[in-house]
Amino acid sequence: MQSDIGFLVIFMPVLYAAILLAYGLSFFGSFPTIDRIKTPLLIGTVLVHCVYLALRTLAFDHPPITNLFEIMTVLAAAIAVGYTYIELRTKASTTGFFILSMAFGFQTVSSLFIRNQYDIPAYLRSMVLGFHVSAALLGYTAISLSAAYGFLYLMLYHEIKSSRFGLIYNRLPNLEMLETMSHRAEVFGFVALGIAIVIGVLWLPRVFREFSYWDPKLVGTLVIWCLYAAELSAKKRLGWQGRKTMIISLVAFGFVFLSMTVINLYLSGFHSFH
Amino acid sequence: MNLFSIGISHHSASVDVRERMWLSADEVRSALARLKERYFHECVLVSTCNRTELYGIGTGPAVDEAELTRFLIDFKGASESVQGSHFLPAHATGAVNHLFKVASGVDSMVIGDIQILGQVKDAFTLARESGTLGPIMNRLMQSTLHVGKRVRTETSICEGAVSVSYAAVELASKIFADLSRKSVLLIGAGETGELTLRHLVGKGVGHVKIANRTREKAEALVAAMGGTVVDYERLVDALCTVDIVVTSVNSPTYIVQPDDVHRVMRQRSHNPLFIIDIGVPRNVNPASRKIDNVFLYDIDALSAIVDRNLQKRTAEIPKVTSIIRQELVEFLRWHNSLQIGPTIQEFREALEDIRVQEVAKNVNRFKPEDRELLDLVTRRIVNKILHQPTTVLKQGGESPGRDSENIQRVRALRELFGFSGNGEKKNEA
Repeated sequence: MQSDIGFLVIFMPVLYAAILLAYGLSFFGSFPTIDRIKTPLLIGTVLVHCVYLALRTLAFDHPPITNLFEIMTVLAAAIAVGYTYIELRTKASTTGFFILSMAFGFQTVSSLFIRNQYDIPAYLRSMVLGFHVSAALLGYTAISLSAAYGFLYLMLYHEIKSSRFGLIYNRLPNLEMLETMSHRAEVFGFVALGIAIVIGVLWLPRVFREFSYWDPKLVGTLVIWCLYAAELSAKKRLGWQGRKTMIISLVAFGFVFLSMTVINLYLSGFHSFH
Repeated sequence: MNLFSIGISHHSASVDVRERMWLSADEVRSALARLKERYFHECVLVSTCNRTELYGIGTGPAVDEAELTRFLIDFKGASESVQGSHFLPAHATGAVNHLFKVASGVDSMVIGDIQILGQVKDAFTLARESGTLGPIMNRLMQSTLHVGKRVRTETSICEGAVSVSYAAVELASKIFADLSRKSVLLIGAGETGELTLRHLVGKGVGHVKIANRTREKAEALVAAMGGTVVDYERLVDALCTVDIVVTSVNSPTYIVQPDDVHRVMRQRSHNPLFIIDIGVPRNVNPASRKIDNVFLYDIDALSAIVDRNLQKRTAEIPKVTSIIRQELVEFLRWHNSLQIGPTIQEFREALEDIRVQEVAKNVNRFKPEDRELLDLVTRRIVNKILHQPTTVLKQGGESPGRDSENIQRVRALRELFGFSGNGEKKNEA
């Protein structure tokens, strides 16, 4: 099993590079064969990724959520699964190159630095923690997807407004669909983050003696959650639509990215496990 | 191959000449029946508003172009306005090449016209129903449809709107996801405006509203297309309730100002508004374009889209030509293989005839007990003579890329041994 995992650590980024290449070629050029095989290839990659995660869980006797690089591969898988779901639902496969490049990035960084870790505290084997971390990861993945669709929306918006019709115009789905995708992903992310926060606040104080409500990760996530709550309610109550909301989404995501990077890298609390 | 084609198209004749030569489905059926009776083993007639073309496999070695032209003109009773010089002929490979070009849209008036493939398909269906589609035309039809399909999937020659009204519809479908849930307001009842509205309705736009200075005109249009009439004086209010606006009013001043649009956008919670201004002079102040979620296009912007799309289509022609070349080679290869078989058979039959004749002539010179041997020996001689040329011909037919060599061999053999025709008849039987 060890050697299988070792192989998959190297093989996963190669697979993601291959699907990225396929989606890139089919976005920027015209290759009927690649158009046909890219979705099966993506589904295959997602399955292999699931096998990889399952093998890691079995081999090291804990879900792969105990350190940053384990989390990154889970994040990559979550993005790939989320995108596959969207592609199969909407039949629009042209956004794949942009979304999957995030999965490729996370998987590559993860594969470069990931270590085989057997030695972890007992609380990290808990199922409740599994739910907590899964919900948080799903939440952040959905928010990332929402931002990616927001970004594509703005690119297309700009092309249509300025009458410069290029690849983006030809290949992307319409503005309304991009907006809907972005919005749905945001709502999903908001709910998932809410669940993560509730589980965390109820469960964490019982397990960690050093638990503090001023933990940076908790505060950061709460701020982010409130930000999205405000944005979603503004959309609903004030009827905000189109370009402005997409910019707000992107700004919010920028804040998420910055705050999470700073919190993970520079601030430490009970909430970091690596 | 004695495939022959003759036709009239926008290259050779103006619309008033072409329309005189247009044939309805019934006319095509009756013309095909007569053509088969007089001139062709197999024939197909393609008739659209831009072309009327006849493709056929002649019964004789050569087809009389002038006679066929006369037949077609007389059939339509159009000798006053149509002349023989309006028709352009093509032969053999040239005719196949022409048909492939027609089906792929590169020969169309507007490059990449997507309707033509369907019309060609219909023409072949009519020919099949009329019993004028034999094995060669049948194969030609398959190849033609294959060319059309490849051109559509492998090139982008059919992509992009090439008329102002379609460009507007295309833009609408890049902004909105589901047009059936959107509504459109037509201001003014100009021709292009109405055409754009018709295209939008064709694309399934949910609701139509029409405003016009003369209310009766708007009412007449609503009667024809459905929808509701809106007061021309309350135009700006109507903008709050629709998603797409098509305006083509004759007015010296702007009928919609940026302030109006600002107010409208606030009222409609910044729901995207797509304005197609085809009025000249323009109806909507272009400064409105700067407002968020407002997509304003005037006639020049739309024409620019059309021009760009046409350029893109033109740039795809080399790809199409290359597909046509590949399919042409494939068709010719099939056609040659068709000829090799019958030629070998004829060759064999010719030598066998000679052998039988000579044996019959001289059989009495042999003793009765030797006659069986005589038959055997002569048969062996003939088989030995046949062996080498037959093998070479068969090998040539099986190896790709040697079509011209094969044609030469078959032709030389037929000439040297005086075989008539071209071997196609045998395969048809």
